[in-house]
Amino acid sequence: MREQYKFLLPSLIVALVVVAFPTVFLFYISFHRWIIFIQGIEFTGFGNFYSMITSREFIKSLQVTLIFVVTSGLLTFVLGLALALILSERLRGQGIIRTIITLPVIVPPVVAGFTWKFLLNREVGVIGGYLLPALGFQKSLLGDPHLALGSVILADVWSRTPLMFLILLAGLQAIPTEIYEAARIDGASYWQSFRKITFPLLKSAIIIALILRFIDAFNLFDTIFVMTTGGPGIATQTLPLLGWKTGFLYYNLGEAAALAVIMLFITMIVSLLLVRRIRQ
Amino acid sequence: MLKSFKWFGLVLLVTGVVLLTLNAASLVAQQRPTIRIIAFAQGFAWPELFGTTGTERTELLKQLEDREGVNIEIEWGDEWAVRQKVLTDLIAHTGRYDIVLVGSDGGVQTYGAGGFLEPLDSYLEEHPSEYFDPNDVYPKFLDANRMPPGGPLYALPYYSFGAGIIYRKDIFDRYGLTPPKTTDELLKVLEKLKQGFERDGITDIYPITMRGAPGEEPTLDLAGFVYAYAGYPAWFEGGAITAEEIKKNKAKPIFTSEDFKKGFKAFVDILRKYGPPGASTHTWVDMMNIYAAGKAAILMPSAINGYAALGITENPDVKNNTRFAKIPVGPGGKQIQSFWTFSLGINKDSKHKLKAWRVLTYLVGKDSMQAFAERTQWPNVTMKSVLYSDVLLSKYGEEEIRLNEESILEADPYYFPYIPELTEFMDKIGTAASRAIAGEDVDTVLNELQTWALERMYKAGYYD
Repeated sequence: MREQYKFLLPSLIVALVVVAFPTVFLFYISFHRWIIFIQGIEFTGFGNFYSMITSREFIKSLQVTLIFVVTSGLLTFVLGLALALILSERLRGQGIIRTIITLPVIVPPVVAGFTWKFLLNREVGVIGGYLLPALGFQKSLLGDPHLALGSVILADVWSRTPLMFLILLAGLQAIPTEIYEAARIDGASYWQSFRKITFPLLKSAIIIALILRFIDAFNLFDTIFVMTTGGPGIATQTLPLLGWKTGFLYYNLGEAAALAVIMLFITMIVSLLLVRRIRQ
Repeated sequence: MLKSFKWFGLVLLVTGVVLLTLNAASLVAQQRPTIRIIAFAQGFAWPELFGTTGTERTELLKQLEDREGVNIEIEWGDEWAVRQKVLTDLIAHTGRYDIVLVGSDGGVQTYGAGGFLEPLDSYLEEHPSEYFDPNDVYPKFLDANRMPPGGPLYALPYYSFGAGIIYRKDIFDRYGLTPPKTTDELLKVLEKLKQGFERDGITDIYPITMRGAPGEEPTLDLAGFVYAYAGYPAWFEGGAITAEEIKKNKAKPIFTSEDFKKGFKAFVDILRKYGPPGASTHTWVDMMNIYAAGKAAILMPSAINGYAALGITENPDVKNNTRFAKIPVGPGGKQIQSFWTFSLGINKDSKHKLKAWRVLTYLVGKDSMQAFAERTQWPNVTMKSVLYSDVLLSKYGEEEIRLNEESILEADPYYFPYIPELTEFMDKIGTAASRAIAGEDVDTVLNELQTWALERMYKAGYYD
């Protein structure tokens, strides 16, 4: 046993320094008033938390985040599953098609954000400036508060569907084919096979994919920042963007830390609930 | 054999001398203090020192280092990344960066008030630098870096700008227009442009481009409109612009007052009616690109973006027909403002403040400013001698240079309050503007802004 701990020690030390210390410091700051142009750091208890969760901006950002996470998560799941189901069959050119579908995931989110920003740009974008106006759609996708969130979701779905696809494809390929053969012999239709065999056996992979997707979407910053900076107004301002603003624009490090702690707890609770589903 | 030994010995001796010299040089270099700078605009700022990649060690840089007895290192990033690095370095008091980039639209105010920057007045008096003549710098550019107004100087400006109109003379001529001198004339010009474009079936050129992205960006320009329409910085009662004044007079925010609303609404309405459809998300980059692409007849009030557009445009109509005009005057009797300096300050925790001062004065001094003008050919320089240098006079002519100078001389850098919370206010006001440009009711956004501002000022203890 002791030998095992000795091998574990270097990793533990690194984890302590890189992960544990910042996390503890984050919690510490969240309980203190620390505004950089005001001298001194003062203990405020839950003051930062109260101030944050009662602010209009937090409530609005939370709404935007929930809409973003649920919509983007659902769309990536449905599309990813559909692609996985189609491409799990033997098809001509399957390898090339899978490669092409996977390409967006290797594009960094910042680059994806810039790409979609220019594509959807109302003045010069291929989609926003030429294709849509030619079809009679004159509005600015990124400039309209009702459409901007949809545009950001579109970019995220494009970027993240391949990851869902890969996870679900791996899950599908782990299901023994004999079960399908037996079902076919018994006269089961495709939909019956999907409901009774595929979906139940894919559940673990689905939940893992959803956990990863949730964490990814909940914490997404770069794509949205690059595309809209949270605008127009605060129409696409999610919690990560609000946290960034609070810390780096408003210089209120205490409240920014409090928001980060709130986000950490939300992520932990959702992940735990989903993990429980796996165990069940 | 002996001859071979002699030659061998000679080669060894020469090699030894060379190695010793190199070692001595590297030892000297190692013993020299290192001055670290952090800035954005890699490849654009000081390429004569750091090359077009921002990572080269040019002869000029080496000469500067030898002259000042320092090693100079520079770290680059995009503006947001640099701001974050500056913030974390300053609050952690690590003193990693000796010279930090701060803007006059929040950085100077916040870091100056927080005591993170070294006051520079005593350096100007006791350690005058041959690189930097403060008398050659337009005073308004220095004033913008004092916190509070009239107080200690916390940074020196590199390239900087005042307000102006950049416009397409060919389009103006087509519709029989002249540059507007007042905001009423501006509205008439915009309406004529819009009607003219509609009549001629032009759907891909807009009368005007301004920035309306959420956050602090539009506030730099929108605050200029508020100032012009109200005749004063109508953010707090009585036009208070310092923390002291606000506290002393218990001056409350007045974002729902007619004085603030007039200018706010004018800015929003102009963009709604005459700007491109996506204006509520446009940053200065979008403004520049739209004008460069020939898709706007007017760019204002931050004319520097028009000069930047000239530098990148491939559209001959834009290249050959772009002109500068003075910014219009508003109903309040003041010009619309847009004023900003790319400023550098010395970290209070720097271990080599005097050496940093010497390097700083070179970075913002005559040679650097002249190099900037020759390279970019933008008239957005801080020094009179550079503004009237041959390179800019031959490019723009004396008339346009004189107009640019007037825009600087007539500017008021204090067209918005100089308070430590400035960045937060600018973000909130800009975001409110973005919402209004996108279609939300102006009164609703201003009511919310007022509610927020009042709570914020109470929380900050201004009215205790």
